[in-house]
Amino acid sequence: QPIEKRCWKLTLWHFRTRSLLIQSPYHWPGPISLLLSPAEWSNGSMYLNIESSTFWLLLGQSPPGKPEISKCRSPEKETFTCWWKPGADGGLPTNYTLTYHKEGEILTHECPDYKTSGPNSCYFDKKHTSIWTLYIITINATNQMGSSSSDPHYVDVTYIVEPDPPVNLTLEVKQPEDRKPYLWMKWFPPTLVDVRSGWLTLQYEIRLKPEKATEWETHFAGQQTQFKILSLYPGQKYLVQVRCKPDHGYWSKWSPESSVQIPNDFTMKDTTMWIFVAVLSAVICLIMVWAAALKGYSMVTCILPPVPGPKIKGFDTHLLEKGKSEELLSALGCQDFPPTSDYEDLLVEFLEVDDSEDQQLMPSHLKEHPGQGMKPTHLDPDSDSGRGSCDSPSLLSEKCEEPQANPTTFHTPEATEKPENPPEANIPQPWKAQNPSLEGKIPYFHTSGSKSSTWPLPQPPGQQDPRSYHSVIDVCKLAVGTAGASATLLDKTDKQALKSSKTIETGEEGKAAEQKEVENLYSKTDHNTAWLLPQGKSPYISAKPLDYVEIHKINKDGALSLLPKQKEDGEATEKPGAPETSKEYAKVSRVMENNILVLVQDPRGQNLTLFEELAKEPPPSLAQDQAEKDLTSYPATPSHCRLQLGGLDYLDPAGFMHSFQ
Amino acid sequence: SLLFLLLLVSNLLLCKSVSSLPICHSGAANCQVSLRDLFDRAVILSHYIHNLSSEMFNEFDKRYAQGRGFITKTIKSCHTSSLSTPEDKEQAQQIRYEDLLTLVLRVLRSWNTPLYHLVTEVRGMQEAPDGILSRAIEIEEQNKRLLEGMEKIVGQVHPGIQENEVYSVWAGLPSLQMADEDARLFAFYNLLHCLRRDSHKIDNYLKLLKCRIIYDGNC
Repeated sequence: QPIEKRCWKLTLWHFRTRSLLIQSPYHWPGPISLLLSPAEWSNGSMYLNIESSTFWLLLGQSPPGKPEISKCRSPEKETFTCWWKPGADGGLPTNYTLTYHKEGEILTHECPDYKTSGPNSCYFDKKHTSIWTLYIITINATNQMGSSSSDPHYVDVTYIVEPDPPVNLTLEVKQPEDRKPYLWMKWFPPTLVDVRSGWLTLQYEIRLKPEKATEWETHFAGQQTQFKILSLYPGQKYLVQVRCKPDHGYWSKWSPESSVQIPNDFTMKDTTMWIFVAVLSAVICLIMVWAAALKGYSMVTCILPPVPGPKIKGFDTHLLEKGKSEELLSALGCQDFPPTSDYEDLLVEFLEVDDSEDQQLMPSHLKEHPGQGMKPTHLDPDSDSGRGSCDSPSLLSEKCEEPQANPTTFHTPEATEKPENPPEANIPQPWKAQNPSLEGKIPYFHTSGSKSSTWPLPQPPGQQDPRSYHSVIDVCKLAVGTAGASATLLDKTDKQALKSSKTIETGEEGKAAEQKEVENLYSKTDHNTAWLLPQGKSPYISAKPLDYVEIHKINKDGALSLLPKQKEDGEATEKPGAPETSKEYAKVSRVMENNILVLVQDPRGQNLTLFEELAKEPPPSLAQDQAEKDLTSYPATPSHCRLQLGGLDYLDPAGFMHSFQ
Repeated sequence: SLLFLLLLVSNLLLCKSVSSLPICHSGAANCQVSLRDLFDRAVILSHYIHNLSSEMFNEFDKRYAQGRGFITKTIKSCHTSSLSTPEDKEQAQQIRYEDLLTLVLRVLRSWNTPLYHLVTEVRGMQEAPDGILSRAIEIEEQNKRLLEGMEKIVGQVHPGIQENEVYSVWAGLPSLQMADEDARLFAFYNLLHCLRRDSHKIDNYLKLLKCRIIYDGNC
């Protein structure tokens, strides 16, 4: 029989699952049945009229549900309280009673106090509390419909002691004079706990943290009611809490937070620190000044060093003023440029040009180092065998050869040169390495490896001797062609080229490399500058048997002593099919003064007017400064080169002398 | 092992604190270890024994007694119940300290035999749990020492007391050896339950006595 009706509003209707949610402000533990809008009252099945938003919920009634004891606690081991949780209401006001009996007693008592500890609780005061005794406690719930009882709960007060938190937590920042400041905290045990008689023994624990921090720092304090905290951050606000635990019980809750502000206590320390810092910096300044004074230079120079002027390593301007060009240039690193006292050695080496393949380009000293190959460091002017030297009349005679050599061959560089690229490629670099001073002046000496082979190779590598001579000659022409200074530079370059070629030769195919080298040098220069040996020089490449004049030695004055060299047969012709062109040979007729060799043109020789013209053309790209310097120090060079050029023709020494001077 | 360490440390501290006093060897007639030190030692021991008993009981309860409702049967089942001990603070404070001391001695003596048998019977258990056995052994040992200490205290505090060795007789050995596992387990449970309670009593009484005798009620 429904006794009570209450009205709720439908809050949610889930169409698909046909479920509805009714929210009620009441907690109704009893049975509930749903009454739809009055007309559709049905017991078994429900007919839900969703158009109507009003439903009746019939709240049924029943005896109360079973309550249960949730917790019993004693704050001081003298009293205790038990709380229970009521069961289902049953829709009726329910009365709860607590009954208990003690261990060993038969009598059942009811809870002496339902109020003190709040609703659903029972408070046992001191009179009703016995320690070391089991209590058997039961809750009874009764309503109009019936009653129910909980299960008995066995509790011994001995083991349920949970005190209140400590009270009166005070914090104080103490700053003793001779020690660091610290935080001093003090508290009192909870009021109810009797510690004085020893009935309960409490142990404490404190925790603190800066206000903004997340983690607490916990410290166990034992049985003392005070605590010191050292090493706190000044200027921070700290929160502190304390709790306690009886000797055989539960920890209390944490006390309310107490806060303390740690003052910025830098007054004393600050002064001391700053004084220390000031003294230290003064000491440092004094030390610096003293050190600077000792060493003799001012602070200004120490801080702002003077800007160094331009300086060439090894170059002493005083030497230049004095005119000792040899020393100057030697300091600059121009070894043997100009050659000073080793003319003889140099020229001898240069002029030992043979027809024979075996001897050519294979100086003895180089044979000792077969593996040097491309190493530019091995190029030593003194060790040069002088092969393919400009001074060799054989070369000159070679020049007298076909001036009308295959121009096409001259210009067909890449095809034939490709297989030899690797050795050629290395050639410019040693030159570069050896003659950095020349780089700026003769830019065309730089890498042009692919085009270095403008110099044709009509012959197989085995027959490179005449070529080498030719190339040497050509190089010498170059040297002469450039106005003075360039010649000197080139001469040196020549020597180095020759040396490099020789060294390369030793390690490689021999003549082929050298020839290519020289050709490379030649071709490079040729390629890049118009004033270099023109195509017209190609005729001179063709190899033909030549007459050689060996310059035996050169005096310091530059006088050459020549020795005729035996002509060698069997020299392979470069171009079997090359057109026979008349070659021009020159012979040294006599040595003039001023170190001029007078070369007589071979009647078979050609006209080398071209060379004359070329020789007179000044090289545009060569720097003049270095040339002038070289001129002053190396007067013999022009003659040297003149010899080379004059191998095919007699050149007017006046022209060269003029340019050199 | 932790308890061992605690006891060792506490013993060392005690020894330190009495370094100024002559060391008493057992049997020495005119031993003058101060009463304060005696009480401190006694309280440390009683505290330690109760901790061990509590742990032992909890472990046994968790392992063997779940769902068996043993606690319902432990009503007035301790053999020392016959000793009328104070049941709350007022009673404990009202009783004379000499009587309380005597009571403590009686309880301690009443547990000599049960502790001995507890050890042997736990050892004989099939899956003898190490925690329970080691603690039982330790409790037996420490109980003897506490008894000695208490006798010394009584000798100092209340000399001339009649040495009537009154104690409760324990008759629970047959229960520990019963074939019925349930009954046997309950016997163990009951014994450990009573041990826990009595050790707490002793600890509490001694702390009360210490505060009363040494600190004059102002710990």
